Amino acid sequence: MRITIPHIGNMYIAFRSMFNGVGVEMVVPPPTSKKTLSLGVKYSPEFVCLPFKLTLGNFIEALDMGAEVLIQAGGPGLCRYGYYARDQEKILKDLGYSFEMVTTELFESKIVGVANLAKRLSNNAPFTRIASAMRFGMAKIAAMDDIERTVHQVRARELQKGTATRLYREAVQAIDDAQDGRTLKSVTKDYTGRLRAVPMNTEIEPLIVGIMGEFFIVLDPFSNMDVEIELGKLGVEVRRSAYVSHWLKFSLFLNAFGISEKDRIHQAAQPYLKRDVGGDGWESIGEPILHRGEYDGMVHLAPFTCMPEIIAQNIMPTIKDRLPVLTITCDEQMGRSGMLTRLEAFVDLLWKKRTSRQMERAPEGRVFSVGLK
Amino acid sequence: MEAYLGIDVGSVTTKFAVLDEKDELVTSLYTRTLGRPIDVIQESMQKILARLPADLVIKGVGTTGSARYLAGVVVGADVVKNEVTAHAVGASHYIPDVQTIIEIGGQDSKMIIMRDGIVTDFGMNTVCAAGTGSFLDQQASRLNIEIEDFGPLALKSKSAVRIAGRCTVFAESDMIHKQQMGYGVQDILYGLCEALTRNYLNNIGLGKEILPPVAFQGGVASNVGIVRAFEESLKTEIVVPPHHQVMGAIGVALLSHEKSMDNGGTTKFKGFGISDMEYAATSFECKACTNICEIIQIKVERKVIARWGGRCDKWDDING
Repeated sequence: MRITIPHIGNMYIAFRSMFNGVGVEMVVPPPTSKKTLSLGVKYSPEFVCLPFKLTLGNFIEALDMGAEVLIQAGGPGLCRYGYYARDQEKILKDLGYSFEMVTTELFESKIVGVANLAKRLSNNAPFTRIASAMRFGMAKIAAMDDIERTVHQVRARELQKGTATRLYREAVQAIDDAQDGRTLKSVTKDYTGRLRAVPMNTEIEPLIVGIMGEFFIVLDPFSNMDVEIELGKLGVEVRRSAYVSHWLKFSLFLNAFGISEKDRIHQAAQPYLKRDVGGDGWESIGEPILHRGEYDGMVHLAPFTCMPEIIAQNIMPTIKDRLPVLTITCDEQMGRSGMLTRLEAFVDLLWKKRTSRQMERAPEGRVFSVGLK
Repeated sequence: MEAYLGIDVGSVTTKFAVLDEKDELVTSLYTRTLGRPIDVIQESMQKILARLPADLVIKGVGTTGSARYLAGVVVGADVVKNEVTAHAVGASHYIPDVQTIIEIGGQDSKMIIMRDGIVTDFGMNTVCAAGTGSFLDQQASRLNIEIEDFGPLALKSKSAVRIAGRCTVFAESDMIHKQQMGYGVQDILYGLCEALTRNYLNNIGLGKEILPPVAFQGGVASNVGIVRAFEESLKTEIVVPPHHQVMGAIGVALLSHEKSMDNGGTTKFKGFGISDMEYAATSFECKACTNICEIIQIKVERKVIARWGGRCDKWDDING
């Protein structure tokens, strides 16, 4: 049985490694492209969000490559994404494809659910083999996330713009190619070292901007129009709390023991929003409060028509004493140049803010000026 | 005499401003982009040159607007700046204590919130161009009214008609409906002014703390009907600064002056001779990956001087 999953950033690398490890062939859809988007848009309801359209496009491309089992996140506890698997199944069946749709329902059955799925798809591979394959897949994701954290630091400071991004792409490829734990470790160490060795401007203290918002858009560079790379080009160090490894670790293991990584964020959001509103809306209220003093500002990413993020966006102006937030709504109509203009203006704003703060402390110290004489 | 040139190439209009060393406006030009930004820049540079004193030397150039990068490589800019910063710099030059800037241009509109000379928040229209200059143009020509007469005529209204302003499609059909019911043109026009300001304040002004002094700039600020409608709904005086149409260009000219003081007065300006150079923009599809990006190349005298449009940096960085 040839299985496939839709793209969310580099998540396919972990899943491919895991499924290959138990002898299941995985069809990786072509990287999300304009063609994927056009296919998705063509067969989607107009006002559904971008993640629906893109993952539907991924499925169509994977089915055309011979995929027989589609895996989609689903179940209660998410946002309307939880229903997408069923809707997409119906749309694809209407298009004449035959396949089986499997929803992970991760929030319900945790690690056991994923293991059972692997067992079924692999024709009863022993649980020990499944466990070791899953561990290796997780290790790959964790390695990529570690590299990415380093990339964010290097990108803001590198002298030759684009070096960190190029090394990152090479590193992802090398991690994908790694066949065993030892290779994975040495590849990770090698690329971390090479990234740290990139010639950097050590004089500057870059702006620190957090990325928050809807999980899929935050993690998918195609959807967010490479917002992290663009911020890096503007000399900004990006931070974010959403990482795939982090999320998998909590949603698969720790949440089962009542440990949530989001408690601190929810605590910060309390005065403004007391409950979950689906998706990541609650977090989008808490983060700009929680990270005061730590970041200079935050970019808030939301798919067009995303209810949880619309709720967050409307509460945002009432929050006193929060970080400056730039909301970017992502959908297929959004132009790249519109986003760049907003990012540039936002970065100017943050620099000016930081400079005037430093000026108060040291009136003579001229740090950086972006205009406004 | 030393001077600084600012160019704001918007989607509908292109604006030029030349400032002297005291940052006083020497001359300005407001023209339509006509979908051909390079040609318009070249032609306008000649017109500007003809108006300048012979001893004037350009010591710095800045570009802004949605074609700021294109304009930047064509003229050789020292500063390439986004519109929000450019407008904020321009407005605070004329109104130093400005706290709110309303800017409405041909295709986009924005609101900039400033406190103590610093931009603290801004908003730009997102998915809809309702309420921008192009729509007013279109409606004026449908009613056979010169755009210059739109405002004065709207002010003659005694009781404005309520027009649906959420979207230009609805606004237009509602206007036609009201006109066919027999309402007077001036009442419909002022109703439209009210609808557009309502739409602007509900969308871009959402959640923003609008404090006076409020500056109103951009092409639409010439329309006295819209100015009055803003004053009525915000219940505060609206200041339309001098040269409001070219405020973005003034803003980047000021920034290029500042840059020039920082870097000792060297400029990348290619001179007014660029009007006679042969510029060409061509595009091709990059097939290196499945993204199939459309790459745009800017050539001068058949030599490629800039490329952009890709998701990765494969084709970038050949400037110079």
